[in-house]
Amino acid sequence: MRFETSVALRYLAASRRRAHVALIAGISVAGLAVGVAALVVSLALLSGFQDRIRRQMMDRTAHLRVSAERGAKLADPERVRAALEAVPGVTQVSPAIEGRAWASNPADPSAIPVPLRYRSAASGRLGAGTGGARITGAIAARLHLGAGDGIRLASSRSRLSPIGPLPVTAVVPVDEVRRGSALDKPGEIEVSVETARLLSDTPAGAAAYEARLADPESAAFAASGVARALGGGYRVETWRELNGPLAFALRLEKSVIFLTVALVILVAALNIVSNIALTVVEKKRDLGVFTAMGAAPRSLLRIYLTLGAAIGAIGTLGGLLFGIGLSLALERFRLVPLPSDVYLLSHVPFAVHPAEVAVIAAFAFATALGAAVLPARAAARLAPGEAIRLSR
Amino acid sequence: MTLAIRAEGLAKTYTGEGAPVKVFGDLSFELPEGVLAAVMGPSGVGKSTLLHLLGGIDRPDGGRVEVLGTALEELSPRERARFRNAHIGFVFQFHHLLPEFTAEENVAFPHRIAGVPEGEALRRARELLARVGLAERGGHGARALSGGEQQRVALARALARGPRVLLADEPTGNLDAASSQVVFDLLRELHRERGMTTVVVTHNPDLASRCDRLFTMSREGITAATGLSERR
Repeated sequence: MRFETSVALRYLAASRRRAHVALIAGISVAGLAVGVAALVVSLALLSGFQDRIRRQMMDRTAHLRVSAERGAKLADPERVRAALEAVPGVTQVSPAIEGRAWASNPADPSAIPVPLRYRSAASGRLGAGTGGARITGAIAARLHLGAGDGIRLASSRSRLSPIGPLPVTAVVPVDEVRRGSALDKPGEIEVSVETARLLSDTPAGAAAYEARLADPESAAFAASGVARALGGGYRVETWRELNGPLAFALRLEKSVIFLTVALVILVAALNIVSNIALTVVEKKRDLGVFTAMGAAPRSLLRIYLTLGAAIGAIGTLGGLLFGIGLSLALERFRLVPLPSDVYLLSHVPFAVHPAEVAVIAAFAFATALGAAVLPARAAARLAPGEAIRLSR
Repeated sequence: MTLAIRAEGLAKTYTGEGAPVKVFGDLSFELPEGVLAAVMGPSGVGKSTLLHLLGGIDRPDGGRVEVLGTALEELSPRERARFRNAHIGFVFQFHHLLPEFTAEENVAFPHRIAGVPEGEALRRARELLARVGLAERGGHGARALSGGEQQRVALARALARGPRVLLADEPTGNLDAASSQVVFDLLRELHRERGMTTVVVTHNPDLASRCDRLFTMSREGITAATGLSERR
């Protein structure tokens, strides 16, 4: 062990015997630990919610989407389909067909038709041939519909009939009423590919093709493979890019929470400054003696930086243990219940991400070390002769 | 005879709170190698300041200090620290042992500052403590030692790196008569044994009379009772 480290650790251990120093050292360590724990719990709370949104994102949106770089339709849809199907890990490929329609309840003439967008389902749960639809809770409520009821969809497109142009309509059974989620757009309905083709009058081809992957995390790698296979003229997007604004909002939310709660750590850092400054004043004579023994100013600086690092390490470690323990307990024992009929969750979820814990630990430790710099530099600049002369 | 210490035209003024305090304005001092010199004088004339300047732990406002042929002003702070560690030992009036450490840890510090591994530094410290008669007290904290023992530990610490120059600032000033004798005898023995150049600031005329040379410092200057004569 370097002599600077021994001295710093001994100063820290010995501070227990000096009540005022021990109090300030205790406040410094506890302040840092509280700040770290608060950050860990806050981010675990956010991650708990965001993980669910992310899972929904992966579940409800296509993992890969290939569209034409220019124009509304794919010039060679079969080539796109083949390219997607050739990618290892692709479990389903389907055309993306979208349009606008009016929805109404065929059994309830009093219900007012609702304007909405329909799109072919990406998740594949509405398999070919079922002809069903998946609607949001909001639409179901407005049209007084439930699973198993029929829903009438009147397309904005029309067909010619003996009595003139009539809107293209389809009555399809409601397969699923989705409970609200962050990803549900209020005026959107998912229908089978066949229904979408009928409503949009697109018997073949598509504006885009979408694929689902066994491992959504490999989407970026798969996308680069598809882009290479297809060459230019196509836009290949992953589920992350398709949900870019939402992903950005979630990241922004996390960053803002981090910066806000991190203020607690900065306040704790001020305690560390005062603790180390107090030790510098108390140990002024020692600094003079070390200099007389041949210690260079850099060594004196190191003593106090090590002291800051030790306080930082103890506070950070304590805060991490407390914060992680509390987050895991809150999740494991569901200690914060929620009314599930209102929030769709039975409890507030907490998720501890190791990468975030590492960032918090690094930030807290660096802040503690940074707090030590000012008093440590003052110690290094101390005139040793004066320190000895005045401490007689 | 080779000079171990040579100070020319030293000036020092303390500028702290209140009016500046001029300690001396043009002080010169020389000491050949291997000499045990005593510096006497009333309090406040700058004896301790002189030792600090000779040891390079304080810097003069003017003048020049050469120790063992090396001009301290020309060294960088790091080089000066290394030079001090290797060649100069300090003993203070109030021992200034570090209370958080044991006697042997205190004595091991100069070695550890020099980069000697902890185990080896402690081994050498124990040897030196045995030399000053404190072999059994190495593991005791500094506070557990008597005044005389503390000063002997401080002496061992000053000699840890085998310095060629020892600067002792009233090493017996805080001790009773018996302990003063023990510490001073030890200091003299070690001085002879190691062939050092030693400057002892003291208020005790008996101890001063047992040194090779006696310098007297006053407001008017520093005077050598034997040999060298300096002026302020």
